[in-house]
Parts: sequence; C-alpha cells; structure tokens
Amino acid sequence: MELQPIYIQILALVLFTLGLVTALARRNVFFVLMGVELALNAVNLSFVGFAKTLPAAESVAGQIVPLFSIAVAAAEACVGLALVILIFRNRESVDSDNYSNMKG
Amino acid sequence: MLLHLLVLAPFAAAILMMATSKEDPKSSSRLAFLFGFAFVAMSIALIAAGNQATEAIEWFQIPGAKGSVYYYLYSHGLGAWMVFLSTGLSLVALITGRNTFETNYRNFAIAIFALMGAMNGTFLAADAVLFFFFFEAMVFPAAVLIAGFGGADRKKAAMTFAIYTLVGSAPMMVALWYLVSMADNSLVLSLAVALQNLDPSMQMTLLLCFLLAFLVKTPVFPFHGWQAITYAEAPAPLSAILTGAMSKAGVFGFIAWILPIFPLSMKVVDGMLWLGLLTAIYGALMALRATDGKKLLAFSSMSHLGLAVAGVFSLSESMLPAVLVLLVAHGLSAGAQFYLMGIAERFAGTRNIEQLGGLAARNPVFGSLFGFVAVLSLAVPGTAGFVGEFTVLMSLWDMGPLPALVAGLCLILSAAYMLRFVQKVIFGKPAREYVDGKRMTALEGSSISIMGVMLLVFGMHPAFITNALQLFDESAVQEMNKVTHPAAVQESQTVEASADTTGEAEVDENIAAVAQPMTEDDLRQLDSNLKANGFSDEERASLIAQLKAMSESEVADAHEEAAESNEANVKEASENE
Amino acid sequence: MTNLPLWIIPLFPLLGTILLGTIALISSGSKKGPSEGFVGALSVLFPAISFLCVVLLAFGMPEEGIRQTLCNWIDIPMLKVDIGFLFDGLSRVMLLFVTGIGSLIALYSIGYMHGDRGFTRFFAYINLFLFSMIVLVLSDSLLLTFLGWEGVGLCSYLLIGFWNHDLNNCKAANKAFIVNRVGDIGFLLGMLCLATLGGSAILNYDALNKFIEMLIAGGHVELATPIIAVAGLLFFVGCTGKSAQIPLLTWLPDAMAGPTPVSALIHAATMVTSGVYLLARLSRMFSVIPEVLVVVLIVGMLTAFWAAVAGLFQNDIKKVLAYSTISQLGYMFMAAGAFAFDASIFHVFTHAFFKAALFLGAGAVIHALAGEQDMRRMGGLIKKTPVTACVMIFAFLAIIGFPGFAGFWSKDLILERLYTNAPFGEFFYFAGLLTAVITAVYMGRLIIMTFFGEYRGSKEKEAHIHEAPASMLIPMVILAFGAVFAGYLWADSMGIKFFEQTLAPVVSDAQNYALGRISVAHVNPMTFACFGTAAALLGMIIAYVIYGTKRLPRLHKKWGSAPEGFKADWTFFFDYIHEIFIVMTKAFAFIADMIVDKILQGIQWTVGAIVEIVGDGVSSFQARKVRVQLTLSLVGVVALIAVVLMTGGLI
Repeated sequence: MELQPIYIQILALVLFTLGLVTALARRNVFFVLMGVELALNAVNLSFVGFAKTLPAAESVAGQIVPLFSIAVAAAEACVGLALVILIFRNRESVDSDNYSNMKG
Repeated sequence: MLLHLLVLAPFAAAILMMATSKEDPKSSSRLAFLFGFAFVAMSIALIAAGNQATEAIEWFQIPGAKGSVYYYLYSHGLGAWMVFLSTGLSLVALITGRNTFETNYRNFAIAIFALMGAMNGTFLAADAVLFFFFFEAMVFPAAVLIAGFGGADRKKAAMTFAIYTLVGSAPMMVALWYLVSMADNSLVLSLAVALQNLDPSMQMTLLLCFLLAFLVKTPVFPFHGWQAITYAEAPAPLSAILTGAMSKAGVFGFIAWILPIFPLSMKVVDGMLWLGLLTAIYGALMALRATDGKKLLAFSSMSHLGLAVAGVFSLSESMLPAVLVLLVAHGLSAGAQFYLMGIAERFAGTRNIEQLGGLAARNPVFGSLFGFVAVLSLAVPGTAGFVGEFTVLMSLWDMGPLPALVAGLCLILSAAYMLRFVQKVIFGKPAREYVDGKRMTALEGSSISIMGVMLLVFGMHPAFITNALQLFDESAVQEMNKVTHPAAVQESQTVEASADTTGEAEVDENIAAVAQPMTEDDLRQLDSNLKANGFSDEERASLIAQLKAMSESEVADAHEEAAESNEANVKEASENE
Repeated sequence: MTNLPLWIIPLFPLLGTILLGTIALISSGSKKGPSEGFVGALSVLFPAISFLCVVLLAFGMPEEGIRQTLCNWIDIPMLKVDIGFLFDGLSRVMLLFVTGIGSLIALYSIGYMHGDRGFTRFFAYINLFLFSMIVLVLSDSLLLTFLGWEGVGLCSYLLIGFWNHDLNNCKAANKAFIVNRVGDIGFLLGMLCLATLGGSAILNYDALNKFIEMLIAGGHVELATPIIAVAGLLFFVGCTGKSAQIPLLTWLPDAMAGPTPVSALIHAATMVTSGVYLLARLSRMFSVIPEVLVVVLIVGMLTAFWAAVAGLFQNDIKKVLAYSTISQLGYMFMAAGAFAFDASIFHVFTHAFFKAALFLGAGAVIHALAGEQDMRRMGGLIKKTPVTACVMIFAFLAIIGFPGFAGFWSKDLILERLYTNAPFGEFFYFAGLLTAVITAVYMGRLIIMTFFGEYRGSKEKEAHIHEAPASMLIPMVILAFGAVFAGYLWADSMGIKFFEQTLAPVVSDAQNYALGRISVAHVNPMTFACFGTAAALLGMIIAYVIYGTKRLPRLHKKWGSAPEGFKADWTFFFDYIHEIFIVMTKAFAFIADMIVDKILQGIQWTVGAIVEIVGDGVSSFQARKVRVQLTLSLVGVVALIAVVLMTGGLI
C-alpha cells in the first residue's frame, strides 16, 4: 500500500486532537504540557506530510520548518518546565485548577 | 547632531547612571551633575545655533497610513527654549535632590534623565507621531518618580497623574491615527493639507480631540483635576520640572501643533481665550485659599499658564514672543519656587503654610532667596515675568478691553496670594516647635539664585529670548516642505499676501480708524495749518516726517502681521482650498 | 561738567543696593553683623554721590533738557521700548529733592536704626528705593517710569514690613502692595490704551507730547479724545493708588508700621508724590481732556478734606502725619486738576521739606520715648528735647501756611489758582480754605499734645528721655531750614518766580492751552494771602482753645481704655468698602474651592469609580479555571474562523 499524503495528514490530525484534548481535559499541569508538545509535534508531522505533496523545489521548506519548530519546542519545553517548577513551589500543587489568582 | 544628542543622550545617561553605586549618593551625584551640566550646555548651544533640523530618518509604517513615520527633529526658537527649561530645571532638580534623597539618589537621577529625554523629544519632534510618542513617554518616568519619591499620598497621586494625562491624550492618538491615514505623512504641513479635505464637523471633532490632550497637560480649567494632588505629592524637584517644563508641553502643543494644523474658527479662538482667562482667575482664587504650600504653587502655575493660553489664542502678531517670554519666565520662577518650597519642607518638616513661618529669622539666607524669588514671580517690572505678562496683556488688549481687564485682575490676585504665601512661610514666628532639618546648601542656593538672576537679565533684555524666535520663518518652512511636501511651498507663499480674516484684523481696523487723521490729505492740511501759525519750514518738515513715521509704523505693523505668523498662513492655506 | 551721562544718577544707588545687599546676605549668619559705621558710611555715600551728580547736571542743564537713550529694552512686533532718560526742568526739581532728602534721611537712619538686627538690609532697601525713585522721575517713557513705579511700591512693601517678625507689620505691608497693585493695573491699562492710539512709540513722553500737538494742530482732538480720556482716567487710577487718594487711600495710614525714616522718605516726601509727578509729566495729554481733570479736582478736594478731618481723631503721632500727608496730596491733586501743574509740583517740593522734617521730628520723639507713639502718653517734651521741638514747630508753621514759611507760598498759590482757574472756583477755593483751617487744628493738636503741657507717660520712661544723637539732628535741622526757606523760590507776591520758570518748558504749553479755553479771573494776590493767613491763625486758635486748655485732662483720664495700635480705625468707610471687595474675592475663592472644585473632583472620581466597577464586572470572566479559559479561547478561535469562512473575510 502506497503511503498516501492524506494518511499522514489524518495521523497528524489525530495526534493534534489527542494533544489538544489532553491539554484541555487533564488537570495535572505536566499532562497539559505534554499535550501541548504532542499538538506541536502533530503540526510538525503535518508540515513534513505536505512537503511530500509539493514539487521538490518548494518542498524543502516543509522539511526545514519542522527543524526550526523542534528547536523552538525544545526551548519552550525548558521554559515551560521551569515555570511549572516555580509555580509548584509557590502553590504546592500541580493541579491547574488551583492556579486561578488572575481572577479579579 | 546637537538635536540627536539632546534627545537620545539623556536616555544613554540614564542607562549609564545604572552603573553607578546605589548606596553612595555622593559619587553617583557627581556623574549626574556632569551629565546635567553637559545637557544644559548643549541646550544653550542649541539656542545659540538657531533653527536647525536633522535628516528625516524613516522610522516605521503605521498600518493604514500612506507615508511612513519619520524620526525627524527640528529646532526652532520656541522648542529650543523649552529644551533649555527642561535641561536647566533637571539640573537644579538633580542638585537639590541630592540633599533630599539620601539613599536611592541613583534611581532618582535615572528617572530624571529619562524624563528629560522625553521632554526634549516632545519639544523638538517635527513629526506628529514622534511628538505623540514623546508626549506620552513623558508621563512614565514622572509617574514612577512620584510613586517612588513622593509624599504620603504618593501612590494615589501617581495613578491620578498617569491615568488622567494618558486618558486625556488617548483621543488625540485616535485623531492622529485618523489624520495620518489621510495624509501623505505625519509632518505638520501634510497633516494640515489632509485636514482641509475633511468636512467641517470632522475637522471640529479632530480639533477637540487634539485640544483635549493639551488642555489636560497644561492644565486648563476644568481639566486640572490631576494637577494639585500631583504637584503636592510629587517630590519638590519633580514638581518644579513638571510645572516648569512639562506643563509647557501643553502650551507648546497649542502653538506648534494646533495653530498650524487646524483652521480655527472665531468661536474656538474665543472659547479658548476665555477658557484660558477663566483658568487664570480660577487658579488665582484657589491659590488664595490653599494651605498646602505646594498646592498653592500648583494653582499659581495654573493661573500663569491660563494667562499664557489666553495669550496664545489672542493670536496677535506679538503673541509668540510674548508667550515665549511668559513661559520662560514662569518656568524659571515657578521652578525656583518649588525648589525653595521643597527646601522649606525639608527644613521645617511640613508644607502646610499655616504651620510654617519665621524662616526669615531662622534661616536668613533662605528667607532672602525665598522673598527674592517670590518678588520675581510677581511680575514686577524689570523681571522677565513683567515683560511676558505686559506683552500678553497687550495682545489681549487687542481682543478688547475686557480680556485685558480680567488679566489685570489676575495680576492683582497674584500679588495677593503670593504675598500671603511669603508672609506665612518666612515672616512672623513659626506656628509650632520643630527640629531644624537640613538647611539649604550653598550649591542649591547658588543654583536657584542663578535662576533668579536670569529672570532679572531677561527682564532687562528680553531680546535674549525673543531673538531666538524664528519659528516658522520663511526659510524654515521651506526647509520643512522640501523634505516631503514640495507642493505646499507655493501655496503658503501665495496665500501670504491674501487678507487676514481673523479677529485681530478687525481690531486693527478699529485702531486704524482712530488713527485715521494720518492720511496724505490730512498731512497737507496740517502743513498749511502750521504755516498759518508761523512755524518755520524746517520745523514743519520735521513734524510731518515724525507724524508720517508714526502712521507708517502702524501700516508696517499691519504688513508684518500678514507676513509674521505662519500659523495663519497654513490656516488660510487650508481655508483657500 | 554737563557731559556726565544720565545713567550715572541711578547707577550709584543701584551699586549701593547690590553692595549692601551682598553684605547683608553674607553677614546674616554671624551674630554681630558688620560694623555699623562702615555700612552707614556706604549707605549715605551712594545717594550723596548721586545727589552730587544731579547738582552738577542741574547747573549745566540746557533749557530744553537732556535726553539720552541708553539701549533697547523690549523689541517685539507690537512693543518697542528703549531705556532712555530725560532730564528737564521737572525731573531736575524732583531729582534734586529725591536724592537730597534721600541722602539726609539715610544719614538720619544711621542714628535711628542703631543696633537693629537688619541694619544693613534696611540700607540696602533704602538704596533700592532711591534707585527706583530716580528711574521713575528720570525715565523718558511711561514703561520705564512704570518700572520705577512698581519698584518704589515694592520697596515700600519691603520697608513697611521691615520688622517682619510681627505679622501686623506684614499685613500692613501686604495691604500697601496690593492696594498699590490695583492702582498699578490702572497705570498698565492706561499704557495699553495709549498704545492703541499710536503704537508703543507713543509711550515715550516726547512722542506723546508731539502726538497731542499734532492732534491739536490738525484739529483732530475730538476724534482721539475718548481714548485719551479713558487713558487719562486709568492713569489717574494709578495715581490714586500710589498717592493714596480716594478711593485707594487706606494703605498709607497702615504703612506707618514701618520704621519712621521710611515714613519720612517714602510715605511723605517722595514716593507718594509720584502720582503728582505723573500728572505733571503727562500735563500735555491731560490738557486736552479737561473733563478728566475735573475728576482729579474733585477727588483731590474730597481727599484733602476727608483726610484732614480724619487727622483730627488720631492719637498715634505718625498717623496724624500720615493723614496730613494724604490731605496735602489732595491739595496737590486739586492744583493739578485746576491746570496748575507747576503749583502742584511746587507744593510737592515744599511739602517734601516740611513733612520730612515733621516725620523725622516724630521719629526723634519716638526714639526719645523708646518706641512710644501714642500722643496721649507724651506732653511737655519741649523741655527735654528742645531741638526736636523747634524743628517740629518750624515745620508746623510751614504746613499750616503761616506767612513767610514754605507752605504759605505753595498753598496760597494753589488756592489762588483754584479760585482763578477751576470751574466753580469759589467753591473749591473755600473747600481748600476750610481744609487749611482743619489742617492748622490737627497739627496744632499734635504739637500741643506732644510738646506742651505735662508729661503723661510712665515715670520710669521719663528718666530716659533724651535728645537724639547728632546724626539725627543734623538732617532735621537742614530740613527745618528747607521748611522755612524753600518757599522763596516762588514767592509770588514778592515777585520771585524762579520755580515757575524752571518748570515752564515742561508744563507751560499744557497750562496755556488749557487756560486759553477758559476765562481766568483776576484777583489781587494779596487778598488770597490775607485769607490764607487768617485760616492758619484761626486753626491755631481753635487748636489752642480745645487742646491747649480744657481737653487734655479729659483725654488723660480716658487713655487707658481707648483703642490703639495699627488698626485702620479712621479711614472712615473706605476700609469697609475695600473690605467688601476683599470679602467678595474671598467668597468667590470659597465658591471656587468648596463648590466648583468639589464638583469637578466629584465628577473625576465618579468616572474613576464607574470604570473600576465596570472593570470588576469584566474581570469576573477571569474567575474560571485555566482549562475553561483555554477551551473558551479555542472556541473563540473556531468561531472566528467560521465567520471568516462564511463571510469570505473579516473586512
């Protein structure tokens, strides 16, 4: 069976939805973070998938952008984890529902 | 180069000040004084150098606008003198601040430099967006200073100040954006040209938006709600800068932005004139009742600036020099008074004038200086204040005797509240026991008395100030036009010759009617009369010549009027199209 | 020596001010202060040099005067004014006695102010005053005169409030300055009014005179008269302020709170007469507006009479003299109102001598009694202080117009001119004569209560009564000589008209023009002299009958309960009228402060509060959990996308 580009996109969509639902549904802030990462990687996958459908000259972009976004994601993960640690120290909790001191 | 330095270097100085020691005010103050002196020297050089402009550097593009925003500085007499006030007062603030803020002097200096940079930018910007940028930027260092170094109620004062002034200028931002989206770029002339394509009701709306920002900044009654509490709670050196330099941004805005851009109807002019006079009277009345020394000075400033606003909107030919002299005089005298009040507060521990008193006996040098500066602010002839107020009165007299009379009343009231102030603070016996605080140092005293001496010098030779004044003169206007708007050059030249339609022309005609006897026919008749009465030929000739010169000077005045004010030109340019 | 530049006259007092001010400032910290001899010498030196310059210039002055322009002062489109000086017959007379009497009083002050903490400061102020006064009379334009005009007002303020530890003095000083400010605004508006007529060039006296002459010659006087009349009235308002005429007379009695030499110099001899000087200086302008001069005449008459009556009831020796000054100034204005500008200046001249002598004498008395000013605690001083008493009595004879003394000549001249020149001359003449009688009464009262009868003060003070030191006596004696002989410069009935000729180039044009339009009555001058003498004698007799014989014991009994101090108790109702204005101002201030401002503050804070409430309401959206917020924002994004897809774009 040949790998149709649409399969890749479907997979990406499934992964993205999984990530989104994880981020929205879970209360544990680590899971939220994981969900965000998953959604991000789904987008990367989508990029690569689209790179396959385009002519060779332009498809390079589709392969380069994920590289950037992986690098950014790494940085983001660092910052995100650091934030989580700080917030945990402050709040003694990883439950995101407890983080509601922004309310007026 | 000078312009760039004056605007940008204060920010650099602020950053450099961060490197100095926080704990040791002595060492950090030395650096601050050094910078302060350098800026004052630069501003004097700027005044001496006359009109100049930098290259127009493209800065950024506002979405929806046709042209881009320029980083473009332009110095004219008015702006240069305002810059002088801002740098000079900042220097004295740095000097008096050293003895008032033992610790944390460094942060004080940082904020003062940032404020100075923003003020200089406001007074020198040739681009409307740039002007607005600095106009808003002034607020933040000032608010931080109030919140950090102010009196007991400082948080509230800082919030009131920041929110009131920012909200006041928010409509201006919208109006400016709208105008810029119409215009080729955001320089004065293109804005004026853009405005005349709009329908009158829109013009009026935009005008009101612009006016509001400056009315709040000056402040003019009834938009003065922020002023008293801010000036009272701010540290005295900052109050001096606020009133001496920053509040001038409002009046400056009227002159440099409102008048050139907007075609003003008689109604608006009259309204603003009376609003200014009302402010003058209101401020004086409030000052009569104030018991907080700094509030008293705040209202006194309000009164003087109200007079200045009224002077601006008298739109007479001598308006510009008159208002400029008044502004410089007020900046120096009100600034000096705030510094002295700050020192009195430091010395006696209160700024309630009912509890002060007897400082002339306790601290004679301070008392003398205080009295001296108070006299200077009374507009006694021989001081710059007199030249300013007399010429403003003269401009107002052109509008009719009533405005001049009201302004005269204001002068009487100013004597009343200022003498009351002096009496309560330095004369009599202190109303309570207190331990003497830190006295005025020699450096403070001499710097403040230099301000006083400057007032005397300018009072006896106001040409020092007025000579620098070539705002919007021919070459400057063309210089400005060349940059972006070549079409407008011819326009403004052709319009120049056309007749003036504003109010002062009417008044002048009245004068001319009174002085009518001086026509050729009358001269001839006069000549024959003299002959009949047995005057010799020589006598007659000289008399006639004198009379001619007298009437000609009037005619010349009328001509000058047409040529003098570019704001009228621009205004008419818009009307003609 | 006529090639002296004119600016040298004001230069010396200015130098003196700066020098003495610096000394005062430097020495203010030290306990002892600078040497009084040194400071005193300096402070007399500068006015004296200035006097010398005036004398030198005065002798070599050409007929038409000396005009010198120093430099440009103000140069803006509507206002071009030079700093220039004009030394002519009028300013010569004024300068001679301003600098002369100024020097004498500076000398006197050395003794009077001995031991005062502010010794140096006092002389700095005196020098500043002389500088301003010289500028006032020497300037060649109204604007520069105004500089001197406000300058002398300022010095008056500083010197009245000289002993500023007492708030009553400060209040008197404030009152003087503010009331003067009201007059000054009149002056200012008058200048603006004139500038409307002929541009700022017309502020120059010569140009103004030329302008008026042009109008007359061209027959256009009527065209310009309304504006000139308004300007004239406004200038006269300025004069009423500075010269303490109705309605602005209330400050002068209070001004007696200052040291006595100040009262002598500023509030008797020089500053208060500057209003008269201004009228004479502007005589050409006033000559075309006789209507305004009638106002001047009436105001002068009322003031003269009013103040004389008020003088009858004063117990403070200085206040009697203050009211007497106001009354005499009223005479001068009457003269000016009757087109007799030269006579008014002549009275200024003689008055300067005898009133200065009276004040200095009063100062010597106060000095002798260690600060006592209440006449009810004086009496019999002629035995203890004979020189002072003699000086005072000579000056007394001069002021009441006793034949042969200075006041006789000048006052008679004024009365004569009133009779001949003024509209309803007879009425004004008799008003003047009546005032002269009252003058003799209250001055006689002063002399009798102070120098004759029994000493009524406390016993321990009596022992300390002593004659003043020489530095005080010498100026007094010189002034007393002036009080006797100054009148002979213009002894009309003896045919000496030196003074008239001196002033002729300045004022005669105006007077002739004004008089040319009315018929001048001719009466034998001797008749007037007889009436004047009779008035003086009558007044003296009345004073003697009332105060010399019966009244004193009764006064003696009552003095414990009578009011005293510096309260303005006898300006009749003018203080109350002023009070109305003050209360009105205060009421307006109250409205502004307590009502208008509160409303504005209310609006401001209401807007703030509304914004806060709205903000609170909106922030309740924030009161959810993070996950809900995130979901909501996603829904929002989806909704946006849906909108974009369905409408085909946002805009």
